[in-house]
Amino acid sequence: MRRAAIAWTRSLLALAVLALVVGACAEATPGNQVPNFFPAPAITDQGQASESLYAFIFWIAVAIFVLVEGLIIFAVLRYRRRKGDDELPVQTHGSMGFELAWTIVPFIIVVALFILSENTQQKVDASTPNPPLTVDVTGFQWQWTFDYKAQGLSFTGQGTDGPTMVLPVGEDVHFRLHSNDVIHSFYVPGFFFKKDVVPGRTNEFDLTLDQTGTYTGQCAEFCGLGHADMRFTVQAVSPADFSAWVAKEQEAAKATPSPLPSGAQSLTLSASNTTAFDESTLSATAGQPFAVVFTNNEAAGGPPHDFAIKDPAGSSNLLFTGQPLAQAGQTVTYSVPALAAGTYTFICIVHPNMTGTLTVK
Amino acid sequence: MATTVLPRATTYSRSRAYEWLTTTDHKKIGIMYVASSYFFMCLGGLLALGIRTQLAVPNDTLIPNALYNQLFTMHGTTMIFFFVMPMLAGFANYAMPLMIGAADMAFPRINALSFWIIPVSGLLLFSGFAFGGAASAGWTSYSPLAEAKYSGIGQDLWILALLLNGMSSILGAINMLVTIFKLRAPGMTMLRLPIFVWTVLVTAVLLVFAVPVLASGLVMLFIDRNYGGSFFDPAAGGDAILWQNVFWFFGHPEVYIMILPAFGIISEVLPVFSRKPLFGYKAFVLATVSIGVLGFGVWAHHMFATGAVYLPFFSAATFLISVPTGVKMFNWVATMWRGKLRFTTSMLFAVGFLISFLIGGLDGAFAASTPVDFDITDTYWVVSHLHYVLFGGSAMAIMAGTYYWFPKMVGRMLDERLGKVHFTLMFVGLQLTFFPMHLLGLAGMPRRIAEYAPTVWQPLNVVATIGAFTIAASMLQFLWNMFTALRRPADAPDDPWDANTLEWATSSPPPPYNFERLPEVRSERPLFDLKHPELRKPATAAAVVVSPGSGH
Repeated sequence: MRRAAIAWTRSLLALAVLALVVGACAEATPGNQVPNFFPAPAITDQGQASESLYAFIFWIAVAIFVLVEGLIIFAVLRYRRRKGDDELPVQTHGSMGFELAWTIVPFIIVVALFILSENTQQKVDASTPNPPLTVDVTGFQWQWTFDYKAQGLSFTGQGTDGPTMVLPVGEDVHFRLHSNDVIHSFYVPGFFFKKDVVPGRTNEFDLTLDQTGTYTGQCAEFCGLGHADMRFTVQAVSPADFSAWVAKEQEAAKATPSPLPSGAQSLTLSASNTTAFDESTLSATAGQPFAVVFTNNEAAGGPPHDFAIKDPAGSSNLLFTGQPLAQAGQTVTYSVPALAAGTYTFICIVHPNMTGTLTVK
Repeated sequence: MATTVLPRATTYSRSRAYEWLTTTDHKKIGIMYVASSYFFMCLGGLLALGIRTQLAVPNDTLIPNALYNQLFTMHGTTMIFFFVMPMLAGFANYAMPLMIGAADMAFPRINALSFWIIPVSGLLLFSGFAFGGAASAGWTSYSPLAEAKYSGIGQDLWILALLLNGMSSILGAINMLVTIFKLRAPGMTMLRLPIFVWTVLVTAVLLVFAVPVLASGLVMLFIDRNYGGSFFDPAAGGDAILWQNVFWFFGHPEVYIMILPAFGIISEVLPVFSRKPLFGYKAFVLATVSIGVLGFGVWAHHMFATGAVYLPFFSAATFLISVPTGVKMFNWVATMWRGKLRFTTSMLFAVGFLISFLIGGLDGAFAASTPVDFDITDTYWVVSHLHYVLFGGSAMAIMAGTYYWFPKMVGRMLDERLGKVHFTLMFVGLQLTFFPMHLLGLAGMPRRIAEYAPTVWQPLNVVATIGAFTIAASMLQFLWNMFTALRRPADAPDDPWDANTLEWATSSPPPPYNFERLPEVRSERPLFDLKHPELRKPATAAAVVVSPGSGH
């Protein structure tokens, strides 16, 4: 028994040390860090405050863990019955002094932790009256839209990587979370923070980033079939780079697609839900540009849809992506360039699970 | 005066199957509860193996998303409502009347009804797989995802199954309460009740207050889904957060419903195998009652990230509830202190419980701290925490209880050597499966995802999968142990463990109506008092002879 217990303790300790060492050596990039006892260093002021609190609670927990597990293992090794010893041990029924001690001391510890925790919560909740940038985040089954309303920019995710949110460092950013279908959760491990995206209410919070870089985020509240693919990227840049990026995107949004030659073939396609297109097959003539008149039949407030064509070579590249997305109730005409004869797969970039077959002859 | 000797009423000879199907004997019903719970544990375990197999490889497409979502929803629902709850109800059904010296439960036929509802509701729940998909909105079934627009017929079956299951719990709880209050043996005052009986009592009160709240929530969800109600769907003018408030008002007391009787089992096993009384009996009763009361004031700590919670109150209450739980932990260690510990399999599981439950308890301090909870909630960290409480806690205690009471239930000893292998495999499997999940959660892995991309998450997921299969192997070996034990001739003595409480003062298994005679009850350890007259205080009396069934 004693040997087994010592062997366990040893291997557990070895595992713990290994995990700590691996954690310390690994390149600590949020979203891509080797799992260990500590989260990757947070890139927001608020997250850093919360992480110091985490570390404090962690070391208190380790101290209690070592104390209590130590007492258990000591009792197990020291007080086991020896062979042939049938005498009753002393029948102790309790001790008021000890019992008061292990009621009052833990009580003081939890009161202290509560006060520290509330102090940190104040920092996390603090907000500026006129934040320089506001981002409206909309989660829907199973994609994200990021709206920079003051800048006139909107990005909806495509495919399973989702959209990218570009943010300036050193400035307060105000977030507003919206949903029109089920509950999602806006979670960026690098922020050491998440907030639920709840239909029927708008959750708001402020964050201040202080480190440039690219960080992953993903939906953290189970929201159905495509939950695991509801990812996005946060790109933190300097304020100057941010302004340049805004100007570039505003320019790109103004560009108009080239008009279609008259007499081109026109195909009709529609979508009414997030499971499948209403039509599963389309056919077009080879070597000629054609139009796809795409109708999003979702009720008002429903998700956007889109028409895109996958590269038949099998890679995840898209041959064609319809711009802009068709919002609920909208009809959009996409001009598709000439394609070689063959069989293609078309998809909704917002909902990569929605697919159909396009035959070009 | 001539006496007439009435012939003893003979029963019709019935088949054993008929005996079991129609029995109202609390012992047979208790055994059926335990057997059905082990059956559902195997089903729930298979679902878990599916989950762990899928997660062993990044971007795995072995199990389609739609099926994966059913797996974890049904795993949680099965383990909570069809394994842990009925298992503890089964132990309570079997041991509690014996421990208080009663002949049966207060309402034997209602007792049979409470049991038979379980397999029926289980069938209803699992029939979803045959009707186009079982429930797949998670065991918490958050609205609007659980509304008709987003979830199929499996969700309706889930609602109906849980309504039935809840009815079984409420009937059972009332039965327990009446039995404890009205059928105690002479001398068995409230402060001489074995601690297991106290935990059953508090659990029954929690059930009576919490389960009707779940039932009303389920009815509202059913109306939403089928008759166009608008309770929980914002698109119809309802409130998505309302469901969470209703669900967790039940759901957090539910955690204590699943852990308090486990505390009770540990509080019986540790003193017996330490050969000492429980350290601080009254503090233990007080701690159990205060956990029961505080347990109703912490539900919204499941909802910190919704932005719809008054954080300081629920944070403070959650921190506070760790104090009575800590008292119990120290009292258990003090019970072993200076004892003479016998490491039977049951005792090993009890020590395994202490070691593992401590981790689950310490995790609570992180989750109670709102800024930290914002990061760890809904990640694998929480999956780790809840399994350290429900597997490291409840399931380990259930194993301790099974090895402890098995000889009494069926009159046969389980093989102790096989038992120790079972304990070792299960304890190691438990740590391998659930400890790495803490680290995965801190690294940002959300729960309930059917696939993940970062390859750095793979090694620990593989460790967890190996752990899960280790647990499965230990369970197979345990079932084999039970199977071979049942095929042996009855060999268990009345009191194989040199125990303290009344169930060991009758034969193994006990006769119908339990006792030929009862020892005098002068403390929470009546059998110990009987065996050690030298320790008695002066005013002694011989064992009181009572006729079977007169428990008043």
